[in-house]
Amino acid sequence: MTQAPLTGNGRPADTRGGAGARGWLGRLDRDVRTALALFAISFGLVIASRVLGPNFGSLAQMKAILVISCFLMVVAFGQQMVILLGGLDLSVASMMTLGGVLAFKWVGGSDGAVLWGVPAILAVTAALGALSGAGVSLLKIPPFIMTLAMGVILYGATLGFTQGTPSGQPSAPLSALFANTAFGTPILYLMVLAVVAGCFVQTRTSFGRKVYALGTNPTAAYVAALPVHRLTIATYAISGASAGLAGILMLGYVRGVTLTLGQSYLLPSVAAVVVGGTSIIGGRGIYAGAAAGAVLLTTLSTIVDSLGIAEGWRTIIYGAVIFAALVLLRDDLAQLLGRRRRTQETSQNNP
Amino acid sequence: MQTSPASSGRDAALRPEPLVRRLLGDGTTIIIAILVVLTVVFAATQSDALSASVLTDILNNSLPLALAAAGGTLVVVTRGFDLSVAGVVSLSNVLVAVHGGSGPLGALEGALIAAGAGAAVGAVNGYFVAYWNLQSIALTLATMIVCSGMTLLILDAPGGDVSDFMTYTMTDRIGGVVPVALAIAVAVYVVWRLLRRTDWGVGLYAAGADETAALLAGVPVRRVKLIAYVLAGVCYGLAGFMLTALTSTGTPNVGEPYLLLAFAAIALGGTSFAGGRGGVAGSMLGALTLTLLQKVLFSTGVSSFYTGIFQGVVMIAAVVVAVLFARIGTRGEAHA
Repeated sequence: MTQAPLTGNGRPADTRGGAGARGWLGRLDRDVRTALALFAISFGLVIASRVLGPNFGSLAQMKAILVISCFLMVVAFGQQMVILLGGLDLSVASMMTLGGVLAFKWVGGSDGAVLWGVPAILAVTAALGALSGAGVSLLKIPPFIMTLAMGVILYGATLGFTQGTPSGQPSAPLSALFANTAFGTPILYLMVLAVVAGCFVQTRTSFGRKVYALGTNPTAAYVAALPVHRLTIATYAISGASAGLAGILMLGYVRGVTLTLGQSYLLPSVAAVVVGGTSIIGGRGIYAGAAAGAVLLTTLSTIVDSLGIAEGWRTIIYGAVIFAALVLLRDDLAQLLGRRRRTQETSQNNP
Repeated sequence: MQTSPASSGRDAALRPEPLVRRLLGDGTTIIIAILVVLTVVFAATQSDALSASVLTDILNNSLPLALAAAGGTLVVVTRGFDLSVAGVVSLSNVLVAVHGGSGPLGALEGALIAAGAGAAVGAVNGYFVAYWNLQSIALTLATMIVCSGMTLLILDAPGGDVSDFMTYTMTDRIGGVVPVALAIAVAVYVVWRLLRRTDWGVGLYAAGADETAALLAGVPVRRVKLIAYVLAGVCYGLAGFMLTALTSTGTPNVGEPYLLLAFAAIALGGTSFAGGRGGVAGSMLGALTLTLLQKVLFSTGVSSFYTGIFQGVVMIAAVVVAVLFARIGTRGEAHA
């Protein structure tokens, strides 16, 4: 199989041509187009919700939705890095709870504690993530099982050491991130920064490029002498740390923690990544897409939850929209498969 | 991957006997070994562990999970993930609780409703995965969510009416000897062995191991996948049916724990998530192991706070052992 030239994000370049003919939108990277489309759909949903009542579709509501999507956005970064590698991280829910519980205990109460507490929590969650990575990479345990077991173990451990009720205090500096100031809400600026930084790490650093390479073709990465084990362990560590960070942020927003804090983020973290145009097989997608997916899912659940209809219908609508997004965004996948089928035909014709 | 082609000739002399290799390489052997160890521990810590009623109880408790895991195995063998299991188990649970009749005929009607609902959901999953090339994990996540919504529409709080026949007879022993749960499990296994020998069964493994090669060899990969998802859905439906008999009530979110547990059982049973390897028997034994593990942790007096830790460690340990043994078992075979 011939190797197509790689674009910035490490996947075969779009060689279909005709990009120029489709104007500036067509010249953009396909992943960026997906991200923009998802942001546009979210925006459209909020505007459309004006028909529901005077409280809907306001600028304030839009801001509120963006603020609460930060948790999913942060978890989705780590989840996406692992998925790009061809893995899956099912421990993010427990990891997030652990981050929140530790922050409640270590950071809460004293303002200065943020300076050492947050790095310490990130180090703990990263180390636990690295442990999953080591299991996947060195012991060849399927990621699904390794991270599922890690999640079960962490949940048990958190339950055990808190004896069922987390103790601690809310943290003022963390809550300040979510407070409205004359210059806007700090977390919103941080989110924009995070998306830019996330895309930069993925597409412009050697580490990011190696993750794509490993996710696209593990055998080739091995042959090319990439540090496969170190890359895998580092990627799972990043996922652990970002889930931990989401838990810390949650303490800032809610000013308290529960032992089920992370649970509702497990499947959405995978959904945000996949809806954002990332291939579950690995090697394709950028963070802008996953972040947009997180905003879309949060917008959707916020609006649907406020519809005032039976929970059953709300759930059905939520599922149906994810389904619709998958079908509508399948374009890329179809092209990918089309290309593969063409390759198959070629190999058949030239034995 | 690490043995070079040149060394496979030398390894041939050291190759273990076929029987040994089969024993070591087969995931079922490991799960049986784990089961034996657990049973010994259980028997040592609880005096009535091996009595008929306790055994029947364990079999009853593990049957819904065993059926769900059996269904999931079919999809995992095709290299897919089916998350709809949680939704279908809940859906069929409330359907049976609300619409099931009384007596044996009513139970049969309930089973048909459950299997039908499962088949319908499976058909949607299979159609979009096989013919539209959607990512199975994402699509089945969507169908799982839609199913749980439908479940809430049918029954928004625990309730329903389950016949005495289902509650008592279906969880009893046939003629006082063979537990009904065991009979059902064996029946599912026999059906699977028969299906495994059909063109579909052969195609299932071929499609999972190497889809391109299977296509070139003339396997109707799309149809094989579609049927796999439909049969998986039927299994989930029956799991929900048996769960209704066990709990004798309809609970809208009863299926949620089955999502991760089913996959844990499949992995414990030695089915590879890379597709093309494994089987239903291992998954069902894996489900039995998970249920027994809970009983053992309880009987050994481990604080319920910490049972999660043990479950996780056992899962990792079992898979590590399976991977190690599989490597020993197939040494020198990789390039043969």
